[in-house]
Amino acid sequence: MKTYNDLAGDGGSNFVGQVTSQLEKLRTRLDKIKHKIALMSGKGGVGKSSLTANIAGCLADRGYKVGILDLDLNGPSIGKLLSVPNDVKLNVDNDGVHAGEGANGIKIMSMDMLLPTADTPVMWTHKSGETASWVSMLENTAIRELIADTYWGELDYLLLDMPPGSDRIDNIKELIPELAGVIEITIPSSISQHIVAKSITKNNTVGVPIIGLIENMGGYACPSCNAEHPLFSGQDVEELCRQKEVDYLGKIPFDPRISEKTGNGKLFYSEHKDSPAAKAIDVSADKILNFTKSNS
Amino acid sequence: MKFLCIPCDTQMETQTDGIMPSDSKNLALKFKCKKCGHSIAMLTNKFETEFVSKIGVEIGGGSEESKSPFNMVGNTLSQAKEILNKDQPAEKKELVWTDEAKERIQRVPFFVRNMAKKTVISYAQEHGATVIDAKLMDEVRDKVGM
Repeated sequence: MKTYNDLAGDGGSNFVGQVTSQLEKLRTRLDKIKHKIALMSGKGGVGKSSLTANIAGCLADRGYKVGILDLDLNGPSIGKLLSVPNDVKLNVDNDGVHAGEGANGIKIMSMDMLLPTADTPVMWTHKSGETASWVSMLENTAIRELIADTYWGELDYLLLDMPPGSDRIDNIKELIPELAGVIEITIPSSISQHIVAKSITKNNTVGVPIIGLIENMGGYACPSCNAEHPLFSGQDVEELCRQKEVDYLGKIPFDPRISEKTGNGKLFYSEHKDSPAAKAIDVSADKILNFTKSNS
Repeated sequence: MKFLCIPCDTQMETQTDGIMPSDSKNLALKFKCKKCGHSIAMLTNKFETEFVSKIGVEIGGGSEESKSPFNMVGNTLSQAKEILNKDQPAEKKELVWTDEAKERIQRVPFFVRNMAKKTVISYAQEHGATVIDAKLMDEVRDKVGM
């Protein structure tokens, strides 16, 4: 009697072929993007998305073609930060779903752009309890589709705004093996550092390169005199970097304007380049660029 | 998963029509031995059906793989922009789908929708129907276990 391996294909559905085709599509899409970088934080609320948007703005202002993929599927915020409203008309053609274009010409794809209204949550079914067991698999497939089916055109940098936590990085590593690396983000509080240390350990364990750690909200810059004052107590973040042997990419002082779009619909970075926070973003961007240049 | 006709020692082939999921998400998939013609049905439970639907592939998809971007997302989100769910029934010019029939076929899970369409179209053509309506879909269901 024939065995499994004696039978070619699976009799018609060609599941393996379909999955292979999905991966080829993904590959073709990713080949048009030079550098892919994930921005992660252990904890939520450390300003990761605002920082991602402003780092992207900084890179775009320097002439790079930049896109952001909002992988915080259940709490997408990049659209709002880049002034791409939820009701933006989707352009769908044979190339896929075209990325939106936000502030500073940054390309964006986010779950928010796929939902019918601004307050629609990401729900995989109306029936409660119907998909609870499947959410992780659904989200894995959703992430693959968001990467593979979005038409980005050619990009120098694609920044992946990861959800809080470090569980999705396994998924990203599998889909984007050439990922340039991860930027970890923490605030100075001891709790945030405690959690980001786990994220660093995990990335080291699974072999994801770490570009470095950014200390966000590292003090409050007075808008009147630019003098800095501490916001949180906690261990020195640079000390954590030394312990974990990762590069310190800089300290971004807290500025309440950083998560707000300006009256011109521009990013904080572009409108307030002389502010301490924008200057600090510049320093971090330099280090990110140096990393990608020396590792490509 | 592959199916072997033991007497013929031949791989059985997925039948690309005659498939319909029930409301309870149980699925009947038909396989046929091209050598002796023997048919079997693989009956899946709700969890097995769910598994296939979540990985973004289609049963019978070897020849009918969806080209729609965000296929799983658009078809699985409880609410998504309409443009993401633009699968429309049958492109055969001679067949007209009533709105009710269109709505019913759209309720079929996306990963077997193409095969479900084929089932209905093939039944309509065999019976000389030019309009696919709810009555005809009821007939198909009675015939193939929809």
